[in-house]
Amino acid sequence: MKNLFTLAFAIIALSFTSCVGDDFLEDFVGQSVSITTSIDTLEINTTFQFEKMYLNDIGQEEIVAATWISSNSDILEIDQNGLATAKQKGTASITVIIDSDGTTLEDSTEVVVGETTVISENRIEGRVETTTFYVLEGDFVYREEGDKILLEFGSDYVASNRLPGLYIYLSNNPNSVSGALEIGKVTTFSGEHTYEIEGINFKDYKHIVYFCKPFNVKVGDGDLNF
Amino acid sequence: MKNIISIILISTIFSSVSFAGGPWPQPKGKGYFKLSEWWTVFDQHFTDQGLIDPNVTTGIFNTSLYAEFGITNRLTAQFNGALLSRNYMNNLRSNTTKDIIVAGEAINSLGDIDLGLKYGLTKPGARIPISLSVILGLPTGTPVAGELNNLQTGDGEFNQMIQLDAGRGFSIGKTPAYISAYTGFNNRTKDFSEEIRYGAEFGIGLVNQKFWLATKLNVVESLKNGATAESITSTSIFANNSEFSSIGVEANVFVTKKIGVSVGAAGAFRGEIIAAAPSYSVGVFYDMTK
Repeated sequence: MKNLFTLAFAIIALSFTSCVGDDFLEDFVGQSVSITTSIDTLEINTTFQFEKMYLNDIGQEEIVAATWISSNSDILEIDQNGLATAKQKGTASITVIIDSDGTTLEDSTEVVVGETTVISENRIEGRVETTTFYVLEGDFVYREEGDKILLEFGSDYVASNRLPGLYIYLSNNPNSVSGALEIGKVTTFSGEHTYEIEGINFKDYKHIVYFCKPFNVKVGDGDLNF
Repeated sequence: MKNIISIILISTIFSSVSFAGGPWPQPKGKGYFKLSEWWTVFDQHFTDQGLIDPNVTTGIFNTSLYAEFGITNRLTAQFNGALLSRNYMNNLRSNTTKDIIVAGEAINSLGDIDLGLKYGLTKPGARIPISLSVILGLPTGTPVAGELNNLQTGDGEFNQMIQLDAGRGFSIGKTPAYISAYTGFNNRTKDFSEEIRYGAEFGIGLVNQKFWLATKLNVVESLKNGATAESITSTSIFANNSEFSSIGVEANVFVTKKIGVSVGAAGAFRGEIIAAAPSYSVGVFYDMTK
């Protein structure tokens, strides 16, 4: 009898010492660099500040030194801070180069120098889709309007309302919300709706990610293909 | 239900393969008491489509006391409570950097408690005994805890269940056996969906009735009339409308005339918004009727 109760209490004690372990998320995306500001045409004798974003292997931004190059400095000159000066009419490419651990990364954009400055329309279209067995899909428009970014979903959007704690993020890693911008808790599960996002640049993030907080799992995503 | 995978549901139902219970009330002044440990650890769950998706590894451990005591020969008091309950979730780490992305957490507390009365609608010794039970589910556990509000040891709602049991004891050759079935309606509060529950159990006594084997089917069907994530504006976790069908086995061995050891396992073979992993239980029981 005594042994029986000793066994019982041992089992109980064991269960309460069960430790929090580790689950591992495959979050490797590779390094990248991108020019996050864009312009179609720059007025002659004016300047434009280009900015770049370097993302490490898990899609998190790090500040690193960069080299800025113009394909034709007679048309468009650029200094090592990314400040471009329009010198004469024509077309030139701006390239940013980053050397990271022996790996050279670069991104380029083409700029026209002309009579007046024309800023690119910051608007893209895309689609979010489920990555699980929960229903989630819909087309979206991601665009800049004044100081805000608008993420607009159309009438074909639908998401399961039985999934607890569904949140939407902007992330630079399609598999993780570490370092991501939490837009908010999902409260619309079908039809048109819009998220207004402030305090970010149009090209600061590359992915829309739906994440279930209670399950700690990604539910769906959509790429922002700039 | 205010948790991710309806842990209270699975802990009270998956673990209820009953050696006592069924339609048989306890004789007056007699009782059945069982102290057990029930646990499950799961890294996947049934979605709302009934398909299986992954989740961060979650563990639930309940130390429970189940008791039946005969007030009269036809009226039995029931107690089923998680005296200690532990719920944890693993750390979620980057496989690239090994850094923690979402820190794991754990809570220990009292779990929910069920109090009930079972009344024998048929006289003791009836060929097919039938009983009616009224069970009150007290929200004594912790419904929301942790940084992400995703831990719980109780569902936070007061529910009332009415259950009808019927059964029959018989022999297979010289081997005693029994079969029983139940159906019930679980009325839940706080916007939880009501449930219809039913199941069946078959048991057989071996080795001069010192070793009992039982298998039990449990089904919970949600009426899906409660709140959904769409109608909840709080940030607390919400996963109403869970349901499942589970099958379990349990072995009970008398080591003395009245005291024995119980070992069981159960798992859902169909479900929605519920863990997709087996649960296990180990316990010690005291049967005053022997």
